[in-house]
Amino acid sequence: MSVEEQLQIVASNGSDRLILALEGELDLASARLLANALASVDLDGARAVVLDLGGLRFLDSTGLREIFKAQKAVHEGGRGFAVTRCSPQVQRLLHITRLDEHLDSIETPESELPEEPLDAG
Amino acid sequence: MSRSEAEIGQRGWATALLVETGATLSSSLDLATTMRRVAQLTVPTLADLCVIDLQDERGTISELAAASTDPQLARRLEGLRESHPLDPAGEHPVARVIRTGEAELLAEMSPQSLRSFAAGSDHARFMIESGYSSAVVAPLTARGRTLGALSTLRLSDSDPYDLEHLELVRELARRAALAIDNAQLFRDVQTVEQRLDAVLRNLAEAITVVDESGQTVFANHAALAFLGLESAEDLTAARPGEIMSRFIVLDEAGRELDLDQMPARRLFRGEPAPSMLVRNIVRATGEERWVIVRASPIVEPETDRVAYAANVFEDVTEVKRAQLAETFMAQASRVLASSMDYRETLQRVARMATAQLADWCAIDVVAERGRLELVAVHHDDPEQLAIAERIARNYRPSLEEKVGVPEVIRTGRATIFNDITAEALAGYARDAEHLQLLRQIGARDVIVVPLAAPTHTLGAITLVTSQTGRRLIEADLDVAVRLGRRAGTAVESARLYTERSRIARVLQRALLPDSLPDMPGFQAAASYRAAGELNEVGGDFYDVFPYGPDTWMLVIGDVCGKGAEAASVTALARHTLRAMAMLQTPPAEMLELLHRTLMAQEPEGQMCTVCLVVIGPPGARVPLAIALAGHPPPLLVGPGATATPLGEPGTLLGLVEPIAIGQSEALLGPGQTLLLYTDGVPEAPRARSQTPLVLERLSAEKHDLPLTEMLAELEQAAVRSAEGHPQDDMALLGIRLAGTTVNIEPR
Repeated sequence: MSVEEQLQIVASNGSDRLILALEGELDLASARLLANALASVDLDGARAVVLDLGGLRFLDSTGLREIFKAQKAVHEGGRGFAVTRCSPQVQRLLHITRLDEHLDSIETPESELPEEPLDAG
Repeated sequence: MSRSEAEIGQRGWATALLVETGATLSSSLDLATTMRRVAQLTVPTLADLCVIDLQDERGTISELAAASTDPQLARRLEGLRESHPLDPAGEHPVARVIRTGEAELLAEMSPQSLRSFAAGSDHARFMIESGYSSAVVAPLTARGRTLGALSTLRLSDSDPYDLEHLELVRELARRAALAIDNAQLFRDVQTVEQRLDAVLRNLAEAITVVDESGQTVFANHAALAFLGLESAEDLTAARPGEIMSRFIVLDEAGRELDLDQMPARRLFRGEPAPSMLVRNIVRATGEERWVIVRASPIVEPETDRVAYAANVFEDVTEVKRAQLAETFMAQASRVLASSMDYRETLQRVARMATAQLADWCAIDVVAERGRLELVAVHHDDPEQLAIAERIARNYRPSLEEKVGVPEVIRTGRATIFNDITAEALAGYARDAEHLQLLRQIGARDVIVVPLAAPTHTLGAITLVTSQTGRRLIEADLDVAVRLGRRAGTAVESARLYTERSRIARVLQRALLPDSLPDMPGFQAAASYRAAGELNEVGGDFYDVFPYGPDTWMLVIGDVCGKGAEAASVTALARHTLRAMAMLQTPPAEMLELLHRTLMAQEPEGQMCTVCLVVIGPPGARVPLAIALAGHPPPLLVGPGATATPLGEPGTLLGLVEPIAIGQSEALLGPGQTLLLYTDGVPEAPRARSQTPLVLERLSAEKHDLPLTEMLAELEQAAVRSAEGHPQDDMALLGIRLAGTTVNIEPR
């Protein structure tokens, strides 16, 4: 299985945001794909970036780090960042590590974004 | 003989002339010679000069033959005809006769009349000076076509021709015309046949024609070369089947084929004869060719019987070899990928090479201190294998030898030895026994290729063919070289892997305590299981050390990632915590400090989850202070079959700011077990069902077992749930109060 088969990232434009839908596995092997995807999309006119994790079958610590790196990059560009449609496993992982306190999670890709974005510091 | 004497018996000589002409014409001489004879027969009895002219398809009239009483005359006329060709539309009697097809008698010719039809002044002068006086010109007519003209001439004062001469010359011309026509027809046929023959003979594809008895009646050059014959006579003289007995003919699957199964034989039996792919091996030389054989029937028109069969042999050796090589290499790749044990891998390579390339195969590798070690030897025949093994084991070459395996290993260059002679074998043998063994096993062709890793030569693969008629040729050398390269790379990877596993085990041990300290009032046990094969250092760690008076610190943690980087972070975390514990730093502060240390790591910080528990002092119920940073909460198992997670979640270390450490307190009582564990978090489960809930249930179920057995059971359960291939490390640390027994009571 190639890295590209392991993780597919589809970008689409939402109302005021860019949505990156992740499908597959985000781990050490596929981690760079998220950064690549983020670097290649056009963010003009987008107020925020939303990572749709609904299609994610696996997430490990490296993947988690990639999500936070993405958040950092998006915040530095003055935009909001959120994840959406986290699986129970991902929610549990975020809860145990208390990273849910540092990552905005919204119910659906088009749900309203919080006024004051959370930051990883 | 005077003309007058001749004239007396005219009828007689005329008949004789015609008979003689007939005999000449039926002789097998070529056309020009035959016509010269005919012309000569007329001289001198009928003519002083006789000329036969032919007209070709383009209309050009040219002289075919001439004869005269004075040989000079005929030659001069030949020259003139060449330099002054007759105009086919002109008034020259020859041109006229060819045009009209009517014979002409020119009883008397004056210089004026000669000039009137001469082809230029030279021609006119020639005719006048030669004394042209009387002539008969008759058409050469056959099958309604006028091919040319036969002219008889009398010179100077000879008697002029009359009508009787006209008839005679006409008859002579008619017969000559038939002969010319036949000759031309024959020549045309011959030309077509020759062309066809030339095409057949020179076709790159080998073609033979056989009759029903199996006798070969025709073979082209390619067929002769293919059959290894010097001339067609060798073939046509051979008895049916004699030639084929020189070959071993195998089908695609390697089964020997009977001649009766060949397409030509099928044709004669009236069966369908599809083309066949056969492998032809010359018995004498072992040379192998892959050939597609097709046969077409040659049917007798009258009887519709298959009289002959034409065989076409298309040599597809190159294509087939390339295809086989590809298949072989694909198979080799599968074999090489199937195991990380290089000895086993090389034994499989030897088996496969024996099946596909050679009669036996041996593989040597350079072991420690430059010693050659035989790691694999294979022969299809078990008896021969025993001999091959004896040779390989008892007569190890030393690396200094200038031939064979040592030479190939030293130079990295593949070699092929063909047709090894008895003398060469004797020269190579170390002693009489060695020679006897070598003779027994037989070695005709040998290929030695380097077992080549990307940077150096690890050893050599030796392929040998003996008495089976199999041969090793240059094409096999290419395949063997590729095999050596692939096998070499695979062996090198396997070696590196084994080496890395060893280092990983050593390193892992260094990162974990050799044994748990003696903790008065407590019983403690730990288990650690590295993921899958021991090729990577895992990120899990645990530790137990004194904290304060009568208190201990229990540590369990999981560093993100694997390998050397993870190992260094594990060491950093473990030693940072130990150092701070000596200063009795509060647990939450210890974790804060560790966080800062991790955030300062280059290039992008290192992540880690940790669970700290301060336990003590010992008593009936022992206080527990729990600090969590991204780690799953420890379990308090019991009393009875219950398990309760302890503590509040805290932030994972080394990723975000600020962090919040989860702190809580609890008590460990008799009949209870405190269980600290890593379950791969933050490596979220992929295939594993070892979720905290499962662990809670399992630990509750196994709680009545002695502590070490309980941990062993939990570990086994985790391995089982991951189908024997846990993807992550697993560490367990369990504490009970000393001197207490655990009873599971129904709740």
